[in-house]
Amino acid sequence: MEYLIHLGVLVSIYAILALSLNLVMGYTGIISLTHAAFFGFGAYTTAILSTRTNLNFFVTVLVGMLLTSVLSLLIGRVLSKFRGDFVALGSVAFNVIVWSILINGGDFTRGPLGIPGIPRPEIFGFSFSSNSSFLILAIACLLLVFFAARFIERSSFGRVLKAIREDEEALQVFGYRVVHYKLAVFVIGACMAAVAGSLYASYITFVDPSTFTVTESIFMISIIILGGLASNKGAVIGAVVLTLLPEALRFVGFPADIAAQTRQAVYGLMLILLMLYRPQGFVGEYKL
Amino acid sequence: MDIVPQLIANSIIAGSIYTILALGFNLIFSTAKFIDMGYGVLTAVCGYGVFFLSSKLGFSLAFSIPVALLVSGLVSFSAYKLIYRPLRARKASGAILLIASLGVLFFLQAILAIIFTSQFQGLSSILTSNQTLELWGGTMTELQVITTGIALVLSLIVLIFLKGSRFGKAIIAISDDEEVSKIIGIDTDNLIGIVFFIGGIIGGLGGILIGLDTGIEPTMGLPWFLSAASAAIIGGIGNVYAGIAGAFFLAFVENFGIWKVAGEWRLTIVFVVLLVFLTWRPQGMFPR
Repeated sequence: MEYLIHLGVLVSIYAILALSLNLVMGYTGIISLTHAAFFGFGAYTTAILSTRTNLNFFVTVLVGMLLTSVLSLLIGRVLSKFRGDFVALGSVAFNVIVWSILINGGDFTRGPLGIPGIPRPEIFGFSFSSNSSFLILAIACLLLVFFAARFIERSSFGRVLKAIREDEEALQVFGYRVVHYKLAVFVIGACMAAVAGSLYASYITFVDPSTFTVTESIFMISIIILGGLASNKGAVIGAVVLTLLPEALRFVGFPADIAAQTRQAVYGLMLILLMLYRPQGFVGEYKL
Repeated sequence: MDIVPQLIANSIIAGSIYTILALGFNLIFSTAKFIDMGYGVLTAVCGYGVFFLSSKLGFSLAFSIPVALLVSGLVSFSAYKLIYRPLRARKASGAILLIASLGVLFFLQAILAIIFTSQFQGLSSILTSNQTLELWGGTMTELQVITTGIALVLSLIVLIFLKGSRFGKAIIAISDDEEVSKIIGIDTDNLIGIVFFIGGIIGGLGGILIGLDTGIEPTMGLPWFLSAASAAIIGGIGNVYAGIAGAFFLAFVENFGIWKVAGEWRLTIVFVVLLVFLTWRPQGMFPR
């Protein structure tokens, strides 16, 4: 039971990441391979603030969102100047730069050692120290993000985003400031990823840079492509399937190291096959 | 000892490796017109090929290197035939091809890790002699001098081959306009396949040289790919000659950069240079 709860928390965190990336990549069509950087930025903000000051977890989440929105605004501003697929390449570069900052941050980020001893959230004297109470918190956050994403998608703002994806130039002709819309959704997505990062840091109670590499960004892309681009439901389904897949591999009896590699091989093969035979994923609307 | 000659020597060595890798990347990019992330993993495929044949099976280097190069070329060729060609035939966007190539990268690197474990392997023990040479106060190993030589010879061969042979001219025609090339009777499909084969051999050659100099690991593909792609973009993407200039420019900035900053920021320096170029000079160092 405890194990199922653990999986539930992980699925919720990855579902939040998938939903937020889906806004950027699925609805707006920006291929971003830097999402793990925002995930990590949120996680490290919570980790550093809650181990060195006694700020409340929920305050650190807000600070994390704020800092991440500044960071993502800068990154998005630069990325918006690139054309075509070079956005994807540039975003990889940003992910590596943020990762380098985490790993070379000296005493501030404790480098490859990571930051241990992150406390669980507390509010009005109630502590989410048990995994089951944390699951409730994670699911609450997931629902919040889910409905926020749905609201964005269905608003007039969301319709503009989809139009950008379909034909950016036509929209510019109609007088829309396309760059502003893209930046806005990029920052919103990054903030949501930061929330997932804070949850992750406080749930695992430990962060280190190896969780926030380009590989993790590719993993997030696999989730939303499997579930289906431009579908919130798809993002959640993808997160469930791909988070549970490695656990299933472990149950079949692969040793831990081989299981991790097999998981990667399966993701790789899955990406290839999806691109070849079903680029819209399970329930997606959009084919890149 | 004065450090500057050594830095120059290091820059030349790094620049030679980048030159080789950027050559293959440019050839593939200029014909197939997408960012092939899977290209990087060929360095690991070929490096492990040599490792397996010479260290595990005890073949001589003179036998294992050509075989490994052939394998790497064939892997690249089959990736084209099985994945990229069908995608291109149905006019898939660059984004789909890019994600499929990410899948190739993930899949192959995981397979290598399953077979050979994810440990770092030195290939240098295979070399019998490891003399060092003094050049104007900088030290280079014999292998590094050979690497530089190979880079120069390879660039010359590709140059002559592109200018002089019918085949090379056909490649240039495809990179200018694939549709027109098809109309005038160039078998673009097969030619691009051959380009992938040659690109695979060139990438594999880079991998062997890296392996002999420092070592190989399954995950080496992505960082080397990113450096090679950066060199190609800095020179001017798709332009084979400019890639050489980009490679050496990048190597010098990088090596003098880590002298002033610190070694662990190596990749960050590469990417800052890349981002600067993508932002202000996306056409590369030379006007076009």
